[in-house]
Amino acid sequence: MVDSKQSWKAWLYLSPALVLLLIFTAWPIVNTVRISLLENYKSLAELGGATFNFGFANFVNVVTFPDFLTALGNTVLLCVLTVPLSTIIALLIAVALNSIKPLQKVLQTIFFLPYVTNSIAIGMVFMTMFNIIGTNLGSENQIVTTFGLINNVIGFFGIEPINWINAGSSYWANIAVLVIYIVWDALPFKILVLLGGLQGINKQYYDAAKIDSTPKWRVFSRITVPLLSPMITYVVITAFIGGFKEYSSIVAIFGEDMGPAGAGGRLNTMVGLIYDSLSQNMDGWASAAALILFAIIFVVTMINMYVSKKNTHY
Amino acid sequence: MDNNENIRIDALEDNENAADTPKEEVVAEEAAETAPEQSMTSKIMSEKDIEKVTTAQRIVKIAFTTLTYVFLGLMALIVLFPFYWMLISSLKSLPEYQLTVPTLFPKVIMWSNYVEAFNMANLGTLFLNTMYVGIVSTLLSLVITVLSAFAFARLEFKGKNALFAALLGTMMIPGELFTVTNYITVTAFHWQYTFTALIVPFLVSVFYIYLLRQNFLQIPNELYLAAKVDGTSDLKYLWKVMIPLALPSLISITILKMMGAWNSYVWPRLVANDEAHRLISNGLRTAFTDVASGQTNYPVQMAACTVVSIPLFLVFIFFRKYIMKGVSRSGIKG
Amino acid sequence: MKKSLVSLLLVVSLLFSMLAMASCSQPMPDFEMPEEGFNTENPVTIVFYHTMGQNLQNELNSALKRFKTLYPNITVDHKQIGGYDDVRDQISTELHAGTQPNLAYCYPDHIALYNTSGGVVTLDQFIDHATLGLTADQKADFYEKYWEEGKAFGDDKMYSLPLSKSTELLFYNADFFAEHDEAGCCAVDHKPLYVPQTWEQLEEVCAEIKKIDPNSVPLGYDSEANWFITLCEQYGYPYTSLEEGNHFQFNTDDHVDFVEMIRGWYKKGYVTTQEITGTYTSNLFTETDPAKLKCYMSIGSSGGTAHQAPTADGDGEYPFEVGIAGIPQADPDHPKAISQGPSLCILQNKDPQEVIASWLLIRFLTTDVAFQADFSKASGYVPVIKSARFDPYYESFLETANGTTGITALGATVSLATADSCFTSPAFNGSTVAREQVGLKLTTCMTADWADSEVRAKILEELNKAIAICKARS
Repeated sequence: MVDSKQSWKAWLYLSPALVLLLIFTAWPIVNTVRISLLENYKSLAELGGATFNFGFANFVNVVTFPDFLTALGNTVLLCVLTVPLSTIIALLIAVALNSIKPLQKVLQTIFFLPYVTNSIAIGMVFMTMFNIIGTNLGSENQIVTTFGLINNVIGFFGIEPINWINAGSSYWANIAVLVIYIVWDALPFKILVLLGGLQGINKQYYDAAKIDSTPKWRVFSRITVPLLSPMITYVVITAFIGGFKEYSSIVAIFGEDMGPAGAGGRLNTMVGLIYDSLSQNMDGWASAAALILFAIIFVVTMINMYVSKKNTHY
Repeated sequence: MDNNENIRIDALEDNENAADTPKEEVVAEEAAETAPEQSMTSKIMSEKDIEKVTTAQRIVKIAFTTLTYVFLGLMALIVLFPFYWMLISSLKSLPEYQLTVPTLFPKVIMWSNYVEAFNMANLGTLFLNTMYVGIVSTLLSLVITVLSAFAFARLEFKGKNALFAALLGTMMIPGELFTVTNYITVTAFHWQYTFTALIVPFLVSVFYIYLLRQNFLQIPNELYLAAKVDGTSDLKYLWKVMIPLALPSLISITILKMMGAWNSYVWPRLVANDEAHRLISNGLRTAFTDVASGQTNYPVQMAACTVVSIPLFLVFIFFRKYIMKGVSRSGIKG
Repeated sequence: MKKSLVSLLLVVSLLFSMLAMASCSQPMPDFEMPEEGFNTENPVTIVFYHTMGQNLQNELNSALKRFKTLYPNITVDHKQIGGYDDVRDQISTELHAGTQPNLAYCYPDHIALYNTSGGVVTLDQFIDHATLGLTADQKADFYEKYWEEGKAFGDDKMYSLPLSKSTELLFYNADFFAEHDEAGCCAVDHKPLYVPQTWEQLEEVCAEIKKIDPNSVPLGYDSEANWFITLCEQYGYPYTSLEEGNHFQFNTDDHVDFVEMIRGWYKKGYVTTQEITGTYTSNLFTETDPAKLKCYMSIGSSGGTAHQAPTADGDGEYPFEVGIAGIPQADPDHPKAISQGPSLCILQNKDPQEVIASWLLIRFLTTDVAFQADFSKASGYVPVIKSARFDPYYESFLETANGTTGITALGATVSLATADSCFTSPAFNGSTVAREQVGLKLTTCMTADWADSEVRAKILEELNKAIAICKARS
């Protein structure tokens, strides 16, 4: 039963958002679709009076691009690794924070600090931590000034230094660093959202559990997680969407070459490809790539929604 | 379409059941454990046993608390490191900053970096501009977000689900692609070099609408229906009931939105990169780079970064109290 | 549900029709000089995008004061827009909305990009103009190679004038070289060191340095892309061409030869690059701590000369003196070195008065001796006109040249001596990608772990891959 009064009220409330979305989101999307269907479209060339054929050449060009599969693979891999990891760690931190009294405020503030730390600074600290200062790494002419903070720490436990991000480093070492960085970078936001959710949970549930001296893990799995499920769903879905758009974290550590020295482009992602083509004024190509990415994200999000609908408690 | 509401109420009840179930189970388990004991021993339970149990429990509790603190402390250290890095870098001299093996603490503390940062980047104007854009866009954005989230969470209308799905869909497109089209739109409106161009295109965030809708959905619908019976208007209900309950989310949104003003770079540079409208991140990126060599005076840049982080930090500390308040206010069964 | 779909379709079609209207654009016509010439009465404001830091903006501002006395009705609104790439991105977006600046810092690549829309004003009609143009003396005053850069676009038209130029230089540790030269060599079992003029000599010197100090990398080369492009030019191998459909030509056996040579040097520990060490090689060159990675030679931009000097201690004593020379050559009799540094171009504008005013500013900035000298002195770049080079004030600056405090002057002196050997590679749609790719691939070929037997095949494979990407990206 939809009463018509509710209906127009709803549209009234939605109108400011919808008007703005129509102008600044829907319209660019339509434009993107148009551009993606104009073969080898370049906006500056159009400005200069060039015309373009209608067709699917851009999509074909994207899919057959030498680095396309690499970029797609990296994107998916990073997503699959970072989303669960960051969500679980954030959840643990949020729950731990919520369970303590002394120092709670101080710790909350500390966990928020990365949020106000400038991204330039974060990128640099990572570089410094994993960077080996030296050259000819892994060869007989290897010269090393320092193996970096992380290698010094693991060296303390008797582990051989690992070439994380420098020339000659392995793909999986690179991925490991990226995963740590991305998880780290994602924590404050997730903690914030989950903590917000936790503190919105009625204390009665916990009080009841306390009276019955329910074990903590059981409180966690039977009360906290179910009641927090809308927030978890939100965090997971947005993390997946963000994960498929991963780009800046790779630039922060490996620079715009998207890979360690000697393997530039090895860590490129879908958005990286889009950026590269945009800077070449290849708007048709970029639009097609963006729509392909959109299709992928769409499918993944639908799956996410379907799964979470089954498990989410409102 | 009322089905939806029913399901939601059912779900809510499910929740209560979920909360109830462990209670029952635990009671049952405990009963099972204690029952044989009771039957075996005399009515008088040895006081020692009770002490034992409680000591054991206390030890477990202390261990658990310690573990919690150790975990949090460790994570805090990890999380704190880049912030620390920004601070110490802002106090280093340029040659020390460029050392191949970085020092963990500046050899000579260079307070002058801060003076230089203020002199070079015209921080005052940058700061006021950013504050203005941040505050205005946060306020407007909150109004729009609350209204939309309310419509999606509480009102019924044709095509609601389709529209919501479509909105979620827009989150999946890489935003960079919108830049050129939006730039043309904004210039068609003659908004170049105005704060309007910095504020209006980004007022609606599907992210925030989604976040808030999820939050609103948690508030039982009975409240709304009761309010309707009492003749309370929607807006009054929103203001008196939903907003206080959703305060933590609203504050999260506020912080995110303010952060947006602090971090936005590409768009402001494009539409309003003049002295009167320039925002902080643009000011900071360009002010400290030496053109001849392309090398940046990072310590001074870091000093500027630190200075501009402080207000955000204060915003958080200030709002944190409200997050707490939001908790204590949720006296309604939720 | 159906209704909402219909309405959605309606909205979409509405948007499409808006689009159809928006996309009826006409090609930008090139500027034409109006009959009446420049109006010196009506006030006109021109916008100038650049990348100057504060110290250079100070020089610009004082020059603009003098410009204002010449043309009181012209106001120059100049803005620093980040780095060169930022200027390029900003302008290429602004061209869409017709909000581009009047003039800007540019590289040949940028002009090729803007010109796909016809956005750059050709300068020939100004240069040859009877009253507003350049005199024969003024034209001859420009260093020819710098001047030529403005018309490297295949249509023989002039699109930019040079403002200030830099090139690559070889910096060497003069004290270390002196210590181990002819006179001081015989202590250790090695041949004397000397400043290499060819790549063969460079290899020899590297080998000797490696004998003296096995814990060093003798040479650090900042830019892999420059190295590749410069070697193509020096050896006379093709790199890129303006010919449509045949732009990318850097995958011959000759290219494999020199890439293999550099790979060999890397494997022997003779060279490293900025990309490989993750730091400007000037940082390795100025390193004085014996425990750390260091270079005794460094090849980098003359614009970064100031960073090639080691830090003086508390008493103002420098740990070593720096020597500067031109980069090694394939043929020292016909030297070639890459030319970099900003030029100026004018972007199309509806108001002809703004366009003419922009030209007047370009003419002023490129021909004004005082500005050219001041700007060069402040930046370490070199003036583009000979009269500034031989201006007494600038000469007195050059006279301060030495290997410690006067390193900027020394760098400028050597750059000026090599001004005639400067070259630029062709600029076209895709030249930026080519540059990026050859840099990446050179690094790959240097560092990759390949068996000796497969090296040549692998190098060729990498170069072919680079060309595939260049083609797909242009």
